[in-house]
Amino acid sequence: MNKRRLTRLWKKPAAEKHLASELQFHVEQQIADYIASGLSPVEARRRANLEFGSVEGLKEECRETRWENQLDIFIRDFRFALRGLLKDRRFAIVSIFALALAIGASTAMFSVVENTLFEPFPYKDQRRLVVVHIQDLDEKDNTRSMFTMPEIEEIRKQNKVFEGTAGNQQDDIVQLGNDTNLRLDGNFVTPGSLDFLGIPALLGRSLEDADYQPAAPPVFVLRYRTWQGKFNSDPDAIGKTFTLNGVARTLVGVMPRRFAWGGADLWIPCSYEAAQTLTSGQFDKYWGFVARLKPGVSVDEASADLTLITKRLAALYPKDYPKHFDTSVESFGHAVVPQQFRNSLYLFLTAVSLLLLIGCGNVANLLLARATTRHKEFAVRAALGASRHRLIRQLLVESLLLALGGALLGVLFAWAGVRVLSTSMPDGTIASETVIEMNPTVLVFALAIGVGTIFIFGLVPALRASRCDLQDSLRDAGKGLSGTGSHARLRNSVIVLEVALSLTLLFTAGLFIRSFLALSHVPLGFGMDHVLSARIPLPPNRYKTPAQIATFYGPLLDRLKSLPGVAPAATSSSYPPYDCCPSEIEIAGKSHDEKRNATVQLSSEEYFQVLRIPFLEGRTFLADEVNDARKVAVINQTFRSRYFKNENPIGQRIHLKLMETVPDPVANAWFEVVGVVADAKNHGLENPNDAEIWFPYTVYPRPAWALLVRTVNNPAKMIETVGKEVWASDPGVAMADPQPLERVHDVNLEQPRFGLWLVTIFSTIGLMLVTIGVYSVMAYSTSRQTHEFGIRMALGASASDVLKMVLRKGLRVLLAGISIGLAVSFALSRVIVSQLWGVSAFDGLTVVAVVTLVSVVGLVACWVPARRATRTSPVSALHYE
Amino acid sequence: MPTEKNDLHRGTLDMLILKVVAAGPLHGYAIAQRLNQISKDYFQVPQGSLYPALHRLEEREWLDAEWKVTSTGREAKFYTLTSEGRKQLDAEVLGWERLSDAVSLILRTAD
Repeated sequence: MNKRRLTRLWKKPAAEKHLASELQFHVEQQIADYIASGLSPVEARRRANLEFGSVEGLKEECRETRWENQLDIFIRDFRFALRGLLKDRRFAIVSIFALALAIGASTAMFSVVENTLFEPFPYKDQRRLVVVHIQDLDEKDNTRSMFTMPEIEEIRKQNKVFEGTAGNQQDDIVQLGNDTNLRLDGNFVTPGSLDFLGIPALLGRSLEDADYQPAAPPVFVLRYRTWQGKFNSDPDAIGKTFTLNGVARTLVGVMPRRFAWGGADLWIPCSYEAAQTLTSGQFDKYWGFVARLKPGVSVDEASADLTLITKRLAALYPKDYPKHFDTSVESFGHAVVPQQFRNSLYLFLTAVSLLLLIGCGNVANLLLARATTRHKEFAVRAALGASRHRLIRQLLVESLLLALGGALLGVLFAWAGVRVLSTSMPDGTIASETVIEMNPTVLVFALAIGVGTIFIFGLVPALRASRCDLQDSLRDAGKGLSGTGSHARLRNSVIVLEVALSLTLLFTAGLFIRSFLALSHVPLGFGMDHVLSARIPLPPNRYKTPAQIATFYGPLLDRLKSLPGVAPAATSSSYPPYDCCPSEIEIAGKSHDEKRNATVQLSSEEYFQVLRIPFLEGRTFLADEVNDARKVAVINQTFRSRYFKNENPIGQRIHLKLMETVPDPVANAWFEVVGVVADAKNHGLENPNDAEIWFPYTVYPRPAWALLVRTVNNPAKMIETVGKEVWASDPGVAMADPQPLERVHDVNLEQPRFGLWLVTIFSTIGLMLVTIGVYSVMAYSTSRQTHEFGIRMALGASASDVLKMVLRKGLRVLLAGISIGLAVSFALSRVIVSQLWGVSAFDGLTVVAVVTLVSVVGLVACWVPARRATRTSPVSALHYE
Repeated sequence: MPTEKNDLHRGTLDMLILKVVAAGPLHGYAIAQRLNQISKDYFQVPQGSLYPALHRLEEREWLDAEWKVTSTGREAKFYTLTSEGRKQLDAEVLGWERLSDAVSLILRTAD
């Protein structure tokens, strides 16, 4: 745009003067010519003016050709639209809010699903990454997707479907420090693993082919988060050497933020030769195994190929395979996000898509309602000479304002929603690599639908109005008894659907709330307050035998007990409310046909005291029994009542078959019962208790143990003190995940809490949208009926008659919605019942509460416009419009 | 609508104005006079569309405008053709000739 055009912006008065004198010159010139041709001056002026027509109209047309005047017109339209919206503030706020809610909620939820389910990983060609499952056909819980090194070698050699594979082995890594040790989650990775994942290092370098050679100098790479948190983001750490599990390793690189393979802190290269002999990990024998399908190979083809291979492997290693099994290949993303969580997300996704539709439906209803009431305004303006395109442009600007407001607020809602959802996502439900952020495509899509609704429903009335027969509109045709006809039916059915959907969402939320409350009030049977818990992995090379393990724990537990602020301390094989290892059992002198099972726990003598689990009969282990690794046992109440009924269990002998089949088996695994304790939750919060049996930890060498310390004050404050004692017992050992036991328990509640939270938010949004919907439709239909009410009131109807009439109509719509909603809720609750606990899928309290809530909110939404209708005096109602 | 005098298409009017102005600087009234003189029998240039058209052409920079004193001693706005306008005129004339050739060919041969 050149300078002259710009200067015209502030030279408008001069331009106006020029325009006027140009036109005047024309007219005067014409008059002069007419006079010259012999007309009288009066007649000459009359003819010239007649020919020239409306000077003002012409001026306006000339003005419109100039760009700065176009801008002017736009600003005028803009101000006009703004004034119109401000005058009808309720309409503007409600439509902008409805639109923003719909856009915000759907974008946030779609983004979460997109990031967690569709693109959870940063890895190369992640959609083709798969895992292999071996499923025992006889026992549902027996499944594995980890393989031994020889199996992996065979699969790599024999398969025809994989482009590449990667194996990883978790290990506890202790980094030796000067005064304390750092415990890290390590991952040994098979050759080429990091190239397979296809992500270059952020700092330094990634692992290279040479690093995986058996004789290569020992190196490792760090996870970004660990580098940040435990290495103080020190760039000079790269190139330095750290002692990890007794081996001096050089840090060669830091991986990018989203790289979190296996959820580890660091990755150590491992050759296939070394992998065969690596026995240090938690699962010493089995390796994590991920493969990438060749392009064009389907999951089914891969499953078929792997079935052949695993059948051959089963013949080679019969002990590693169940009698009847099925081999399947599953996408890696699906394997990482639990099925149940995936289902919940899809459920919410559906709900949210419907919310978007409801929101747009509301806005459409509002716009249509407003347009109908403005029908006459348009007709008048068209009659006064407003051109069709001016009218349309004015409405377009108004729509633009609404859309802009809704879009801006919607983006804000979406942004906040994504932030809140991503920070409240419970650990372990999504992959560690997943970063939840707003998805621009989804946002654009939601915006397009929302803004499109506004433009379509904002313009349709304008087109109709500008085309309409003036006479008809001005004559006020089509007024009178309304609320009938196909339009009204359509609007009402939208409301019925909205109410039904909202009720379904609320009902689901209600069930989740009830279920969560039940779950968080489950009597645990043990005291978890004031208990510090930690895992202590012991280096397996130095702690092979039970005696060696006892030399670590014996002195450590004694030392901890003598600390000020510590009541008793104990070690055990796992934390409550989860048990350890199920075993088939036999009881001496009893024969039975069915399989008998109990879960096995190893512990020190003060375990029951630390967790405040009371003894019902007998006693705990004696210190000597623990020291001498005697085969004595304590059983729980469930065990006692299930297998001993009325007999005295003390002194009975129990055979734990598991202990004879594990590596380093216990010879002659018969244990004598010395005590019975009360039941404490041992199979998760949701499930009934298992029969459980404890025996001294000195009987069997497990590589990892739980440490439980009962403290007098806040256990979190004791972490450092206890850590120092652990270090003092053995400088090569460190605690893993030390935290108060209550915190561990809280994690168990996190996922249900998250589900509850999501469903509550969305049902609230749903309720808000439905309120807006009911209100807008009722307000519209009552405003259409103002004339009718006037006649009725003039004929003697009282205000309460009118009120009743409106409410009755609203109630009819509400009731239809509520009954459909209840039917859908009951159908749906059968699907979500698997995610509920301690509450029936047809919970009466929830039904009553939800129906009441929806009815009250719906009636209030009807009552406001109904009230307004009754307040109009009959006279003004009849004059109306 | 009376049919004896044809409506002028906007593009055609623009072309005619450019053509008239091409002869030398003219004010609006003179342009109107010229157009009516030349085309008297075929169509009437409505005053209502002349001035918006002139302003439109000026906005597009096909015409340049200047306030000058007329022979009768009055101030008037004179329009001249710019080089852009000349190019546009040539293009439109060419297009028009092609069209009219084609149309007359069809009218002659379709009989």
